[in-house]
Order: sequence, then structure tokens, then C-alpha cells
Amino acid sequence: MRTSRTLGLIMIAPAAIMILLFFLMPVVLTAVFSLTNMSTATGISGGAYQVTQAAVNRLTTDMPELAAAIAGPRFVIDEEGVAALEALKLKPGLAAELRAEHLGEVFASRREAERVIKALKDRPSTREVKRISDLFNRSVLNTRFETRQALLESLRKLGFNLGPEEQEAVAKATYTGWVWTADNFRTIGNSPDMAQIFLNTAFYVAVTLLFFNVGYALFLALTTHYMAAATASIFRAVWLLPRITPVVIYVLMWKWLTWDNGFLSLFMGQFGYPPRNYLLDNAQGAWFFVILINGFIGASMGMLVFSSAIKAIPETQFHASEVDGASRWQQIRYIILPQLRWPILFVTCYQTLSLLASFNEILLSTRGGPGRATEVWSLAAYHTALQNYTGNLEYGLGAAMALVLVVIGVILSLIYLRVFRYDTLISKPLIED
Amino acid sequence: MVEKTRVSANFSSVPVILALGLLSLPLVLMYVYLFIDTVSNSETGSLIPNEFTLEHWSFLWETKPGKPNIWLVTLNTFVFTSVITTVILLVSSMAGYVLSRLNVPARGFFLAGVMVLHAFPSVTLIIAIFIVLQYIGLYNSLLGVILVKAAIDLPLGIWLMKGFYDTVPWEIEMAGVVDGASRFTVWRRLVLPQIRPAVMALGLFSFLSGWSEFILPQVLAPGAQVQVLSVYLASLIADDNNFDFATFKAVGVFYVIPVLILYVFFQKHLMNIYGGGTKG
Repeated sequence: MRTSRTLGLIMIAPAAIMILLFFLMPVVLTAVFSLTNMSTATGISGGAYQVTQAAVNRLTTDMPELAAAIAGPRFVIDEEGVAALEALKLKPGLAAELRAEHLGEVFASRREAERVIKALKDRPSTREVKRISDLFNRSVLNTRFETRQALLESLRKLGFNLGPEEQEAVAKATYTGWVWTADNFRTIGNSPDMAQIFLNTAFYVAVTLLFFNVGYALFLALTTHYMAAATASIFRAVWLLPRITPVVIYVLMWKWLTWDNGFLSLFMGQFGYPPRNYLLDNAQGAWFFVILINGFIGASMGMLVFSSAIKAIPETQFHASEVDGASRWQQIRYIILPQLRWPILFVTCYQTLSLLASFNEILLSTRGGPGRATEVWSLAAYHTALQNYTGNLEYGLGAAMALVLVVIGVILSLIYLRVFRYDTLISKPLIED
Repeated sequence: MVEKTRVSANFSSVPVILALGLLSLPLVLMYVYLFIDTVSNSETGSLIPNEFTLEHWSFLWETKPGKPNIWLVTLNTFVFTSVITTVILLVSSMAGYVLSRLNVPARGFFLAGVMVLHAFPSVTLIIAIFIVLQYIGLYNSLLGVILVKAAIDLPLGIWLMKGFYDTVPWEIEMAGVVDGASRFTVWRRLVLPQIRPAVMALGLFSFLSGWSEFILPQVLAPGAQVQVLSVYLASLIADDNNFDFATFKAVGVFYVIPVLILYVFFQKHLMNIYGGGTKG
């Protein structure tokens, strides 16, 4: 008993670890990332505190006065500045007097600081006053702090006595890293773009599934059923090609078929039509070919499943029906279709999921175009998070979009598990040592 | 199949053959021209080639500006694909055996999990995986994308292997155990040889799946040093300045030949696996 158990655990460990790390963890992390505003701008590890004009603008909406004060110059008579003044080798009295009389004073504007400098006993010239005051300019604008502590400490030295609420606001406005937020889901819920993408997806999945993954697959299975074995296997082999062919080449062949220097244009050119890009000229054409491209791949799985299901129907039923004078159509309608109910359900379930999730073909053929006409949900998530033209990749929003698919995926696969009764597949081990 | 033909002997099969032939025409055309165009030139506006040429194959001996060397890319693809195949075979032949025969805690749970994951659309995880690989520093490395691809294909492999182990008679193992062999020896020496065809089929499937994979290497390892053929070809096509279908097709044929060879020789094995339901 114990040896078989230990052996079992050891032998299953690699699989368990790999699935845990690169499968289950990403599922959880998709949910985690979807609650953040991670993007190229925020980075994926922690950020810093950066007082930029943009940060000040963010702060302005809530605390306009504080924002203006932070953005404005600050003049502080500190040891550092005095030392710099000594290095300038002006009259030595200037530095000595500033150190003795004014050390630690803070001025909110250049004018106030210069008034004090002008009043010094050595009477610096106007040009010198300007040079000296520059040395004491301690504005935080365009400085970067590694920690929140450093930022607040620096502000305190400048004479800002911030309450906890203000501290919070300043820290939040200047933080460059990612933060937790539920905004992604609000964006998904409210944006009209998202609604359009949702409709695109529903249209794409429903049409491809109905006409190809089930409809055409059924047609293939039925027609090959009524053929001589050799002919049937040729057709099956041809229709399995789209699935076997690597997707990049497969789509390349379609591009060659549809582009303005491709087959269709050349062919139509023989009849005097001008060349055009049948794939990308208009949205209808794009949808037509996107559905064909995916449908041709999808048809093969249904074809194989349905073919083997038809093969499993007892021959006697066909013999009996033919003796009774049934037509081919009647055989299909009353013998074959009723017995294909489960395989059809299986293929529908399975292919819904694959169609929802796969975006390889659309990405390679239309890239969601023309415009965003053929942008479907999974492709939109990819575009948002991993490849877009603005350059700011929004990982958080993309993860939230992917999470929608992940949730649908988990629910559908659980249903699939229940419907197709996995428990009948487990039998107790017979050897217990 | 032979009996099947007899069943429908009452009906002529000519109309269905014609109909299906017509529908298959675009596919056949695309494949035929895929090969023709790589070794020929035709006049502008004509579909019929008028000269034989090998110029489209020049990518084999001269590296295109801004692109990695084709042989480096091919080597990468081979490493990528064969490591994935090995890992999947090794890991899933062990795990499948455990799920089929050994009494481990949470066996039912693991089995259900494998089945759910096998149906689960793993592409949706790519964003999270991308960020994870960046965190652990495996972004833009072959190792990272290999691990991810192998893990994603594992549930299917385990599921298939479990199914094949289920068909091996218990008596073989009983005999081994009675003769004093350990369970591991029984698996290694008695059971594994029984499912050699399954190992073959799964290996073939994993190889094809790895060879064809596009989106994972594209996102997780796009760098020139670790590029695989699918990413290389996609980047050629995406480059609007040098648009040349014949060259793309030549690279495409170069890339697809191993797949077609395997397909022609092992079609039967593959039909079994694809019929069982894979993604796409």
C-alpha cells in the first residue's frame, strides 16, 4: 500500500508542479492582475515617487492650493546652499551672515528669498542676488524619491506640514508604480467599444460554429459516409490539412488567395475586374474570410468525431431502411441525426471554448481590421495587454478582459465535465500492495 | 469501411463526390500554388508560371537584412520542439500511469482537474504568463517558452496516456507483482512496452503541436537569438516594405515540409488524436 502510494506521488509530482506553476498559477494571477492598473507606464514591479507636472495636475483636482505650492519654487537657507555659496568665492561675509542669521528659514517664493539676500550687510549686486538665490532653490518638481518616506521627509524640510490626508493624496498622485483598482471592470462594463467587441465575438462564434464547426463538419461526415472508402479517406485527408498546417503558413495561403496581388484578383482580372484586397477592403469581406479561415480548421474535428459516430451505428439499421425504400435524406434524418445528438453536443461545447479563446488566425489575417471590424474579445485582450500602437501596454485591463474568458472557460469546462460524466472513467486500482 | 460502401450501394456517390470536390477546390488550389510559386515565376497578371527559378529560395544561403540567420532559427525550432516532446512524453507517461493504476490521494480530483484543463482555453492565460516570465527572468528565453508550452499541452497528454493505460490488461501487472517485481519495475519493463503505439502517437502530436506553435513564442520569446520558424515567417510577412509572396511561400514550404512528411506517414495515428478533441 505505502510503496504504491509513494511511487505514485513521486511519478505524478513533475506533472503536478508544471501544471501548478504554468497553468493554475496564471489562472489565479490573471484575477490578481485584473485588479491592478499595471501597464508599461507603471511597470510590473514596484514604482517610485516622482513629482512631475502630471502628478501635480492630478493633485490639483482635489487640493489645488497644495498642488500649486508643491509645483512652485521653494527657497530654503540650508547648510548645503551656504557651502555652495562659499565655493562661489563672493564676499565671505554673505555666507557667514546667512549661516549665522537665517539658517533654516523657508521662503515660499523667489521674491521673498531675494528680499532677505538683498538686505544682507555686504549688499550684493542684483546679478549676485539672483545667483545666490538660485543656490537655495529647493523645489521638488521633477525629483524622484525611492520611498514614500523620502518624499514626505523632503516635503517637511521644505516647510510643508501635511496632515495624514494630504500625505496620502500627495503620495498617491506622485506614485509611479501600479496600484489596486477595480476600474478595469468599470471600463469593460461601460465602454461602447467593449460592447461592440462583445457583439463581434458573439457573431463570430455563433456563425462559425453553426456553419462550419458543426454544420459543415456534419456535411463532410455524411458525404464521406456515402462514398467508397478510398475516396472518403482522400477527402478526409484534404480537410484535415488546415488543422495540420502551421497557422502562419495557413493564413499566408489565404492572404495569397485574397489580396490585391493574389489569386482572386488575378482570376477576376481575366474577366476585366480591377484587382482589390478581398480580405481587407470592407468589413463584410473581412468577416466572410475570417469565418472561412477559422471554419475550415474547425470543420475537421467535427468531421472526425461525427464520422466515427456514424461508423458506430449498426449496419442493420441502414439495411432495414433501404429494404423499406428509405431515401438517402430519410436515412440521414431518421437514422443518423438522432444518434449524433451527443457527439454534436460535445463538439459544440468544445468548439465554443476554442473559438472564444483562439485569436491566432484573426491576428495573422486581418489583425482585427479593417478598422476594428473583426476585433474579437480574445484578440482585443491581446491588443490591449501585449501589442498595441500607442505603446502603453495595459496589462491590468488586458488581464481583466482575459479573466472574462477564463471564467467562461472554467464554467463551460465544468459543465462539460458533468455532462460527459468523468466519474464513469475512474475505476479503483485492482492491485493494492 | 468496406461494408459501409455496400450499405449505400443503392445510391450513386457521384453527386456527393462532385459537390465535395468543388468545395475542396480552394484548399487544393492554395496548396498546389504554395508549392508551384516557390520554384517559378509568372508574368504579371497571369496565373500560369512561365519559368523555373530558385531565386525565392535564396533565404537559405543569404541572411536577410535585419532578420536572424535561417539556420539558427531552424535550430531553435528543433530544440524547442524536441525538448517539448521529450518533456511531455516523460511527464505524461508517468502521470498517466499513476492516474490509471496507482492509488494516490486526491486521484479523482486530479483526474477531474486534468480533464477540465484539457478543455480549458489556455491562450487566455498568456497575459499572466507573460508577466510571470518577466518576474522570474525567463522572458525572451527558449527555456521559459518551452516550459510554458509543455505545461499547457500536458493535460491532453496525461489524459490520452491514462486512456491508453486503461486498455492494458491488469493480468500483466498482476503477473509481474506476483513474481516479485516492484510497481516501478512493472511499469518500466512490462506496461510501458505495451503502450508503445500510444507513446508514438503522443510524441508525434506533441512534435507537430510544438512545431506549429506561434502565439506563445511570438509573445514570450520574440528576440532574434531565440526566434523559431513560425515567428520568423510571421515577421517576414508583417514587414510591408519587402512584400513578396513567392519568398514567403518558399520559407513557408521550408517550414511545413517536416509537418507534411510526418502527416503523410503517420496519418492514422494522428486521426485518433485529433478525433479525440484538441484545440482549434
